[in-house]
Amino acid sequence: MTWMRSFWVVFAKEVREGIRDRRALVAALFFPFLGPALLAVMLALVSQSSRRADEVGVDIPVAGRENAPNLAAFLEQGARLVDAPADPEAAVRRGEVDVVVVLPPEFAAALRAGRPAPVRVITDESRQQARPAAAAAERLLAAWARQTGAQRLVLRGIHPSVVEPLALERVDVSTPASRAAALLATIPFFLVMAVFTGGMPVAIDATAGERERQSLEPLFAAPLPRSALVLAKMASASVFSALALVETTVGFGLVPLALPPARIGFSMHLDPWVLLAILALCAPVVALACALMVTLAARARNFRAAQTTLSLLMLVPALPGMVLGLLSARPPPALYAVPFLGEQLVVSRLLRAETVEPARVALSSASTLLAAALVAMLAARTFERGQPLFDS
Amino acid sequence: MIELDRVAKSFGEVRALRGVSFAVPDGQITGLLGPNGAGKTTALRIAYGVLRPDAGAARVDGIDLARDRLGAQRRLGVLPHAQGLYSRLTAREHVLYFGEMHGLSGAALRTRTDELVRLLGMEDFAERRAEGFSQGQRVKVALARALVHDPQNVVLDEPTNGLDVAATRQVRALLRDLRGQGRSILFSSHVMQEVSALCDRVVVIARGQVVAEGTPDDLRRQTGRDGLEDAFVAAIGSEEGLS
Repeated sequence: MTWMRSFWVVFAKEVREGIRDRRALVAALFFPFLGPALLAVMLALVSQSSRRADEVGVDIPVAGRENAPNLAAFLEQGARLVDAPADPEAAVRRGEVDVVVVLPPEFAAALRAGRPAPVRVITDESRQQARPAAAAAERLLAAWARQTGAQRLVLRGIHPSVVEPLALERVDVSTPASRAAALLATIPFFLVMAVFTGGMPVAIDATAGERERQSLEPLFAAPLPRSALVLAKMASASVFSALALVETTVGFGLVPLALPPARIGFSMHLDPWVLLAILALCAPVVALACALMVTLAARARNFRAAQTTLSLLMLVPALPGMVLGLLSARPPPALYAVPFLGEQLVVSRLLRAETVEPARVALSSASTLLAAALVAMLAARTFERGQPLFDS
Repeated sequence: MIELDRVAKSFGEVRALRGVSFAVPDGQITGLLGPNGAGKTTALRIAYGVLRPDAGAARVDGIDLARDRLGAQRRLGVLPHAQGLYSRLTAREHVLYFGEMHGLSGAALRTRTDELVRLLGMEDFAERRAEGFSQGQRVKVALARALVHDPQNVVLDEPTNGLDVAATRQVRALLRDLRGQGRSILFSSHVMQEVSALCDRVVVIARGQVVAEGTPDDLRRQTGRDGLEDAFVAAIGSEEGLS
């Protein structure tokens, strides 16, 4: 019997068993939609909150309005002024309000005397949500200051433009797309997770599970090349892994359909071509992930130990990519050669519609495939020695 | 014909086999008898090629397992100590799977599988998934998949372990049939009755060495005891691990 036929016999049996395994099916069929569903929910929430701010303006709690009625009236044109809490700093610290503008009693006297009038803006810079309100308050205060300063200059016969050497105009190109960019950075993370979770039940069942059920010894007594045996197990895990990957990718492709750009305020680069590119990029990832899972699970003492090991293994490639995506720093080209990481970098560039250099894609795919081949070779050698049967 | 030639095997500090040699001729049932921990399973595992000996050689029909494992294993039917089944495959699918691994396919494989289902009385559960099979049913499936390729040599590790009387008799009848067809059969046991009921030849193994070998009658003569059990105890030098 040829090597290929041995491979197919084992492969077909493992796939058939996997299809009959409810846990494997759930992992391959349902979990993959989790990522896209989460992304859709988060995008909907983000777009809702940003729309609310754009449409209805912000609330600014102001303390001591009576000390500067003029300024308060100006502020009221750009925001809704509400009463400040009793202890503004504590309230901001607790996150009850995003910002408090304090107009102290000495404000009026300082203003009349032509001295800089004190105004305090209390906010918590570490809270992402507080930033729009704080920025709005500061913008309004700065506008009032500019206007008042200009009036004073005009009274003294000086044209206000003399003290404004710059005509500063701030054009914010990131909003609201930037708010969603951080969310899009989670896509590569979910892709890697899908690859691992999809193939994991089969990878464990075909190795640690087979030993725990004591069905590995009859298999080792059969006239099969052990390399065909181990590669067939990796390949069958890859089928379920690839299935999960396709589903996740299609799921992400459906997100823009469920949330049209008009609703979320920006368009996502998730057209069919990008989706196909993502699948092609992740094919080596599937191979390496399944090779690693089968190899490690074959060495685990039992089913449970294998589950623990593989769950930890899954986090290793998933986390660095996510962190890099959030930092959005320019990664050095050498990072593209790191299996799992390189693919995530390429995918995140694709999602942001940035140019992707073919050389980097090739580097990333080649290194991942090479790693997969090495792992498979090592596994075949340990199987050849009969280790998975007795190593426990 | 299965041969072990001065086979030695250690697991770390433990010397499981210390130069074991014996032959299993065609047309005979050879019993490998010994107390628990004597090295029976290790010897069998080397004979069917899942363990490699540290020294010495194992041959099946003259084929050295170290040189051509696949060639030797094709001529072997194995019922290992571990008889695990796949809970999501039916009894018949187990037999078909192993048949395919031995290169069988199509109508020939289906015919052979039907034959084994009849021969082993598996009609009632052939189409059921192995989840929840009784010990007797499990052994029958394991036997069927071991014999699916009609092997010239059969190795069985404690085949009647955990079987009831009826199933035990069925297995014994099957082994006698195989002997009648001129095959070489090697099975291990620590049960005296089993050995005396079945074996043409006995190899007694203790502490990793062959301590006696021959027909049951030879054994009684060699030790000067009438009963086979007494002869066995005399051969291994203790009653430990017997039943």
